[in-house]
Amino acid sequence: MTIIDCARLGKRYGRSWALRDCSLAIPGGQFVALVGPNGAGKTTLLQIAVGLITPTEGTVTVLGCEAAGSPGALDRIAFVAQDAPLYQNLPVGDMLRVAAHMNQRWDPQLARTRLAELAIPQRQKVASLSGGQQAQLALTIALARRPELLVLDEPLAMLDPLARHDFMAAVLAAVAEDGLSVIMSSHVLAELERAADYLILVSKGRIQVAGEVDDLLSHHRLLTGPTAQTDKQAERMSVVHARRGGSQSHLLVRAPAADPGPAGWESRPVGLEELVLAYLREPGVAALPGPTADGPSRATIGPSKGVRA
Amino acid sequence: MVIDKEADSHSRPSSPIQFQLDPGSGLPTYVQLIRQVEHALRLGYLKPGDQLPTVKETVAALAINPNTVLKAYRDLETRGLAVGRPGQGTFVDGTLGKVALPQLAALRRTLLTWLGTAAEAGLDDDAMDALFSSALRDFSRSRGGSAGAPARQAPGDRRGSRGDNAEGVA
Amino acid sequence: MTAATAPAPRPAARQQPVPWTGLAWVTWRQHRAGLTGTAVVLGGLSLYLLVTGLLVRGSADSVSSQTPKVISALVLLLPVLIGSFTGAPLLARELETGTFRYAWTQGCGRRRWAIAKLALLAGALTVTAGAFSAIFSWYIQPFIADGQLPALKPLVFGLHGVAFAAWTLAAFSIAAFAGTLIRRTVPALAASLAAVAGLELATTLLLRQHYLTPLTTHGGVPGMPPSLLSGGSWVLSSWTTGPGGRLVSQDIINQAEGRFRYSPNPAAFSAWLTQHHFTQWWTYQPQSRFWPFQLIEGGWLLALSITMIAVTVWLVRHAQ
Repeated sequence: MTIIDCARLGKRYGRSWALRDCSLAIPGGQFVALVGPNGAGKTTLLQIAVGLITPTEGTVTVLGCEAAGSPGALDRIAFVAQDAPLYQNLPVGDMLRVAAHMNQRWDPQLARTRLAELAIPQRQKVASLSGGQQAQLALTIALARRPELLVLDEPLAMLDPLARHDFMAAVLAAVAEDGLSVIMSSHVLAELERAADYLILVSKGRIQVAGEVDDLLSHHRLLTGPTAQTDKQAERMSVVHARRGGSQSHLLVRAPAADPGPAGWESRPVGLEELVLAYLREPGVAALPGPTADGPSRATIGPSKGVRA
Repeated sequence: MVIDKEADSHSRPSSPIQFQLDPGSGLPTYVQLIRQVEHALRLGYLKPGDQLPTVKETVAALAINPNTVLKAYRDLETRGLAVGRPGQGTFVDGTLGKVALPQLAALRRTLLTWLGTAAEAGLDDDAMDALFSSALRDFSRSRGGSAGAPARQAPGDRRGSRGDNAEGVA
Repeated sequence: MTAATAPAPRPAARQQPVPWTGLAWVTWRQHRAGLTGTAVVLGGLSLYLLVTGLLVRGSADSVSSQTPKVISALVLLLPVLIGSFTGAPLLARELETGTFRYAWTQGCGRRRWAIAKLALLAGALTVTAGAFSAIFSWYIQPFIADGQLPALKPLVFGLHGVAFAAWTLAAFSIAAFAGTLIRRTVPALAASLAAVAGLELATTLLLRQHYLTPLTTHGGVPGMPPSLLSGGSWVLSSWTTGPGGRLVSQDIINQAEGRFRYSPNPAAFSAWLTQHHFTQWWTYQPQSRFWPFQLIEGGWLLALSITMIAVTVWLVRHAQ
């Protein structure tokens, strides 16, 4: 099932476009990392997917065939907005009861068990919890709704390293246990690198990279070789980003996995962060799935939109 | 925070070993997991019949994708070191030491001799390492199939859903 | 976790929407401070009125009109205050603090959530206000019977019958609308206080007298309506005509009034008027029209409130 399907999605505020021409077919059952610089449009994209914002142009469907924001979608998608909004003046127990009454589907035992594990007392007011505890409470409420899709908007931003680790561990444990689909945005990639199956890079309102992490990593290499040959190589291959020294240059290229690389050039795999940084430095280049007629499939890296020489 | 499958508390993990991650090592996560299992086997922390840490435990402790753990366990199964029992977990099923100890000792001596020769030729540690790694790569490639370990340079193929390119340390 | 605490399989897709009772509890839990505060204030006042009213009825002296006038002025402010302070933060707080991003992504959906909040609080406020105004009507009865407080007069009209509850409801719905539109509690509060106060003033001074065409009669002398109008009629205007129906200038009347003010003979002024063939005309609304007026005012306020609430729900549905 395609968890989010959008075609030429765009959102304009006044004169400026927060999102433009975004087309995605995100497969379900995966942990999707949505990364990009601040202000790139990640929050806009997520809020459109959960029905908080209506797009200016384009279409979006979620969970296969539900319209974003429809009752069916609302029921099956749990969203935790940035800063984990909760009713601060309520005690934790009442916050849970509020959540239970606002949803058709609720698993009180899961909520209670998680809170006990987190050692968050039910009588305590939400406002007096720490940032990490509030984030975990918001996550607990989201998980206790037993959703099919969990959408998290920068949940780690205000958390200390231990709280971040605990939060990620909790999400991934739910994925392991329940087969949950997760879309999580962050402007720090390192935290998501170990967790992500699928990566979407949003930059300046456009989707620059979208694909399964395995495919992305196996289809990119870093070539190191003589600067004199760089131009010649660039003609043959899709170069994402080039760094030239006087006599030695590095080319981050997109190549099929089995490609041995040009003779005389060193070749090594790239890490995810390195790859993302390279694309961020080259706004004209993209790595997007090719058009597929048969719905969601493994991302194949399509032709690049721009070749840097 | 460790979520246990045991009824009581966090003080009874399912396995004799616990996984750790070294983010600076450059090795893909699943390779690190495989190595830790093999290392534990060699040192006797794990014996045949012992249970490996559950996916859920590992994910909760390390905050990694469950597919990574599944991939590592599948790889161990392929090489006959572990076996999965549905509903129960993954258990150690074999031993390392396909190579007999005397043979290992002989190989080690040969290696030390080569290192001595290289040092005499003027190579320092890093140069020796680079030379060895490059030769090992070429050798693995010529052997047909995957690029072998040390997987410092292996492609980042780390999810269980991709069956090809099974990596491993022999 | 043992098998017993392993998560149950995910329940099947929902069959029906989230029940209203659940949302009613949520509304109550979130706003119980405001509701109980209102109840305490009105309850306290009611107690005071009950006690005072019993004392007034028990005493044989003629009632003094001073106290009820002060109380009335205070009570007149209540609909504006209660309605605005309850209505303005209702949605504005959620929009301000960002909790709407939680509330509008829950399974109940934002439309049902908004309707539950608005309907429950509107209902609770109206009922409470109605109960209070019933007690106030009981309290004010002796003063009206005494003729000191004409029931239709501005100060009194809005305090009993259905007007009190209707104005509370209207203030609430206007404040809730303002809160949703402006998205900030304090500006919404200010805006709705101003708007409702302005509306009340406009109604009192301009609109109310025209609910039904005023009656006209003649008789009496300037400054003293004929006995027909005594007993609680609301005098709207008065003028004098001379022979042939021509309007007599106010200066002449004022002069005459001055001359006869301290006359020991009360009928002297009347005789003077007759002598000059002057007739004093009055337009008024009779006391008997109290309930029709109450229903008219209650009616359009109710319609206004329902419209405001509907528009507020529409705003919530289309908010971004």
